[in-house]
Amino acid sequence: MPTGDEFVELVRAVAVAGDRSAFAVLFKHFAPRVKAYLRRSGMDPELAEELAQETMVNLWRKAASFDPARAQLSTWIFTIARNLRVDHLRRQHGTQAVQDVEIDGGDASAGSEPVEHDAVQLDEQLDATRRETAVRQALRQLAPEQLQAVWLAFYDERSHARIAGDLQLPLGTVKSRIRLAVIHLRRLLQGMEP
Amino acid sequence: MITQHPNDELLLAAAAGTLDAGADIVLGAHLEGCAQCRRAVRVFESAGGAMLESIEPVLMAPDALAQALAAIDAEPPAARPAAPPLPRPSLPPGVDWPRSLAACTVSRWRWMGPGMRWSRVTAPHAPDANVFLLRIGAGKALADHTHSGLELTHVLCGSFHDGRARFGAGDFDAADGAVRHQPVLEPGGGECICLATVQGRLVFDGAIARWIGALVGI
Repeated sequence: MPTGDEFVELVRAVAVAGDRSAFAVLFKHFAPRVKAYLRRSGMDPELAEELAQETMVNLWRKAASFDPARAQLSTWIFTIARNLRVDHLRRQHGTQAVQDVEIDGGDASAGSEPVEHDAVQLDEQLDATRRETAVRQALRQLAPEQLQAVWLAFYDERSHARIAGDLQLPLGTVKSRIRLAVIHLRRLLQGMEP
Repeated sequence: MITQHPNDELLLAAAAGTLDAGADIVLGAHLEGCAQCRRAVRVFESAGGAMLESIEPVLMAPDALAQALAAIDAEPPAARPAAPPLPRPSLPPGVDWPRSLAACTVSRWRWMGPGMRWSRVTAPHAPDANVFLLRIGAGKALADHTHSGLELTHVLCGSFHDGRARFGAGDFDAADGAVRHQPVLEPGGGECICLATVQGRLVFDGAIARWIGALVGI
């Protein structure tokens, strides 16, 4: 498996040279993970397959806007997949996708940020590497069941109910586990701040 | 200065993309003005990245890569022309519309009591979401109320105190069914405009307030 830096080089190769073999390596690694995330979010296999492919097509189209100083590649790909998922749910319920309601400052939607946020963004960019490292350190310190509870927060409500069923726990207990895990995660992160 | 922020669970849900439409709009309005909470959302997005790294992969279709490459070779979807701005009711000078409302229709200001007006916010993708603006005149108070579900509030301008805390421009509040509160505006201050969403309905205490609440349907 390529290392993180090698993955970043592969994205660069896609961006500058339209390198299909680089894309194939990225696809092989990330598409099955994106599909797994979408499945756990409650999507049926066909739709999860379709949106996982679309996530990777978006990676190709937006490759030039990926900035490793702002987010790790996996985080960037997660935000692309998440936005596609939210857009899909919105299309199901309403007329059309909402344009640019990004809450993440535009990581996955290059060039749509209004100018007035530039100063703030620069500040946010500077500590991105530290943030990515700190989050992974904190997650490693969580007990396995707490880590599982954090992951649950990224999935669909129905998967909470399913997990509650699997563990033979009331749904409320699963929800309070998520709450406690988040509190613990925040405490660990605060302990890491300089 | 912003002193009241959403809790980590809400920020995590924002990062995970699991907020309902109403909550997404109101929390989005807060995030636009709050660098601290934007940073927290980025932290939780990083956790999303870590989740993707550690998840058990699911097999893609045998021709998945070929299909993706075919999609890449096909014409990229044409960019949608920017929609013309939707009509908006008036806001006091210096107060801007949150970008999170960009795609929503916002009704004119409607009377809901002396010194009190409200406006219905409708999201095209979630017409059933109960999202509204409240515009309360200086020195007035909203009727004592509780909620059948979670109530999220973002203060656009002005300030109020509800017995628990003071909320000023940019502040965010989450109150669940266990909270009974009566937002009261500060006597010397100006009017206050809030963007709010309720999962369920507001439940007012007094008979007249109940009647008005039923009338306006918030």
